[in-house]
Amino acid sequence: MASLPPLAAEALHGFVVAFIVLNVIIGMVTYVTLLERKFAARMQSRIGPYRVGPHGLLQPIADALKLMMKEDVVPRAADRSVYNLAPIVFLVPCMLIFATLPFAPGLGIADLNIGLLFFLAVSAMEIVGLFMGGWGSNNKYALLSAMRAVNQIISYDLPFIFVALVPVVLAGSLKLSDIAAAQAGLWYAGWFPLGTLAFLFYVVATLAAENRVPFDILEAESELVAGFRVEYSGMKFALIQLGEYAHMIGTSYLGALLFLGAWAGPWADTSPWWGALWFLLKAMFVFLLVTWIRWSFVRIRADQILAISWKLLLPASLLLLMATALVVALRGAGNG
Amino acid sequence: MARRLGESFWGDLLDLVRAVTRAMKVTLVNLIRRPVTVHYPDKVRTYPDRYRGLLALTYDRETGEENCIGCRLCEYICPPQVIKVEMLKAEKRNFAKTFTLELYACEFCELCVQVCPTDAIIMMKSFDMSTADRRELLLDKDRLHEIGLRFEPSWATGNLLRDMQTPPKAPRAEGDHAKAGEPEKVAGAGKAQGAKPGGAGE
Amino acid sequence: MDPEARKVVELGYGGSERLTMNMGPQHPSAHGVFRAILTLEGETVVGVDAVIGYLHRCHEKLGESLTYTQYPSIASKTDYVAAMTSELAYVRAAELVGKVEVPRRAQYLRVIVAELQRIASHCLWLGTWCLDMGGALGGGATVFLYCIREREWVLDLFEALVGARLLYGFHQVGGTRYDIPAGWAQKCRETVGLIERRLDEYEDMLERNAFFLARTQGVGGISRELAQTVGISGPLIRGSGVSYDIRRLEPYSSYEDFDFKVPVETAGDCYARYRVRMVEFRESINIVRQALDGLPEGPVSSRPGVKSVGQVRIAKGEGYARVEGPRGEVGCYLVSDGGAKPYRMKWRGASFSNLSVLPHILIGCKVADVVAIMGSVDPVFGEVDR
Repeated sequence: MASLPPLAAEALHGFVVAFIVLNVIIGMVTYVTLLERKFAARMQSRIGPYRVGPHGLLQPIADALKLMMKEDVVPRAADRSVYNLAPIVFLVPCMLIFATLPFAPGLGIADLNIGLLFFLAVSAMEIVGLFMGGWGSNNKYALLSAMRAVNQIISYDLPFIFVALVPVVLAGSLKLSDIAAAQAGLWYAGWFPLGTLAFLFYVVATLAAENRVPFDILEAESELVAGFRVEYSGMKFALIQLGEYAHMIGTSYLGALLFLGAWAGPWADTSPWWGALWFLLKAMFVFLLVTWIRWSFVRIRADQILAISWKLLLPASLLLLMATALVVALRGAGNG
Repeated sequence: MARRLGESFWGDLLDLVRAVTRAMKVTLVNLIRRPVTVHYPDKVRTYPDRYRGLLALTYDRETGEENCIGCRLCEYICPPQVIKVEMLKAEKRNFAKTFTLELYACEFCELCVQVCPTDAIIMMKSFDMSTADRRELLLDKDRLHEIGLRFEPSWATGNLLRDMQTPPKAPRAEGDHAKAGEPEKVAGAGKAQGAKPGGAGE
Repeated sequence: MDPEARKVVELGYGGSERLTMNMGPQHPSAHGVFRAILTLEGETVVGVDAVIGYLHRCHEKLGESLTYTQYPSIASKTDYVAAMTSELAYVRAAELVGKVEVPRRAQYLRVIVAELQRIASHCLWLGTWCLDMGGALGGGATVFLYCIREREWVLDLFEALVGARLLYGFHQVGGTRYDIPAGWAQKCRETVGLIERRLDEYEDMLERNAFFLARTQGVGGISRELAQTVGISGPLIRGSGVSYDIRRLEPYSSYEDFDFKVPVETAGDCYARYRVRMVEFRESINIVRQALDGLPEGPVSSRPGVKSVGQVRIAKGEGYARVEGPRGEVGCYLVSDGGAKPYRMKWRGASFSNLSVLPHILIGCKVADVVAIMGSVDPVFGEVDR
């Protein structure tokens, strides 16, 4: 390492770390699908995947192999370049969001001091890939669903950002590790009432940003059969699934970091790996919470979803942010 | 009775929170309940006595002869006409020379069982005959007899089904009433209102 | 907002491009093979063209070529979700024309079986409706699996009684083919008790759930006048304020002996039809209990034994018999020329007539409402196409 010029060494270091993290994320994504399926199955009085491997543990691998072996069918009238690029444009932002996430104190790819801003900005770029998929498929169902999805994600990104800013205001920094460190005393979700409300709104906004029931008009299988993914098969479909679940895990991690204290927990200060474990468990808790809601409710209509966002969630999150800022300012004025 | 939505904002919001917690409680409770899945084919659920499974031809229990006399009544009553029988005349009684049953088109309506005068054709308590080739489901007489020996038969035979429709006129011997699946006599008054609660004899 | 005014506002808004979308015969929520060619302006439906006939299997011609003994097993296949009531319509028509007596025990058994079938059919209705509205990957699937789990208990009862789970062949001209086995009455009481408790769970999940109410209240309203002119029946007409139940109007098969409520709601929207069916669940359980308590002894058929498999010769004449199925009025018009097979048999399918209301209520609603409305109309295409 010493023989290489410092820039190259840094680049190589970054590349290796990013490679490791990406692979870990992909591995986690596949097993998170299994977790969701088994959790949902138990809630429905049945057993999820069971036969492939002991208790279904090899099911994600079987799914991945199947998708790789599938024939790549491209509709004849599809807009080729757009159609082929869409899964990639969808996947890349969903993977990029992990760049600024610190998995433990010191374990992270790039702990930027505008970490949260980077996360929010990059995760919004998946909409472009989504719409490219809907348009390039040359399919009315896909187009309808892509249009609805763009509508919904844009409407819910605003409350999402405002709610994500509440911990920023409380911690005083956009750097994600700072926000995590500032929760050493009390997790922001436990800071009643504003913190808990912010956490709840965050969960709702995540549901909408992820197109999960009750906000899943994008897929709405019973109306639009798979939404913008309907014409994709094989590896391209796998990339889209990967992107979706990676985004899901990313927002779960972010929720755990912003509101549940990230790596705080017993023995966290002894070694960063304990911190990473607690962080993982908390992220899975947020994920399971979202999954629990998903499997309990029917979906609501597109216009009702937008009504909820603009008329209810946005004003509420704005008020929440202002109230938090007021409290912090008063506290600061009281101290200083 | 639920209120109509849109009447009052805070009322609706409170209702929403309550409904959300109730719904999520139901799913949480079901998370802990045992799943109702039966691990077929490792474990097979118990089929009831009257299960209408595969069709089979039987032998007489005492003499070991085939029960079928080739009368073709089952052929005439079958709605999708899947049975084809040829009679073979012999000295004391008739037999079926050929007996083909197209299981892939069979409706499993049990009419052939109900009509059979000698209880020759019956149904089994199993349906395990999946195959990759439909031609294997064109059963001839040998295969029908073999199915009859391989699986467990259902309770229903022609005479039992026909007898079920009328209760026995005179009291029979002890052993007969102890048959499994005897039609149940519920003692109760005629009209619902005058009935004893719970119905006697159950 | 007034539904008429709402239609005008939404159709006039910027809608210059009309999109023709096919909710094709293969569709996760078409409830069967049903093709609806929707003309959309944005998200609003402005035109609907329904195409049926994908499941036509010539039942009426089959009725002419099969005898009165053979056809009841086939009759189950019209409304295959509620097979007992379909068979009942046919055998009642044959008994009406041929003036065949039915013993009281058979009548009570027919009532028990029909009401259990109503419970099972409504379980399926609720499950598939929530599945359509909630998505196959979401809360809809949860309610669906709960309802199917309950329906399985009822099907287990039928399996113990008849041997089959979906298509029975339980009825015959003159009574029923089977009598109840030992212990069945006790198991039946336990099952309906379990279902009654589980119904409370479903109502918990759906009743005051704002998502559910937002999807169903005010959606697909059928006014009282429309209901009376268009020819619908069953929960659709009772949800629009008209108290029309054949079990009350022309009691058949000893329904006059039982004490039950006929639920009527005035709102006419999907939510009203949902309430009607949920009350019908409980009333059916009530009727089953009363029938089990009062089950008389006797033969189960006026043509028992060998006569049950022999030929039935119905006297020359014609007649129409109808029953209150879970979807509405299922009727069978029979013309007999004195032989062993009908001369002509016509099915009045409940779902076929219920579908005639679709052009009136689908116009002006959103695409998402189309599935909610189709689910609350609850068609079964075996009945529609026969």
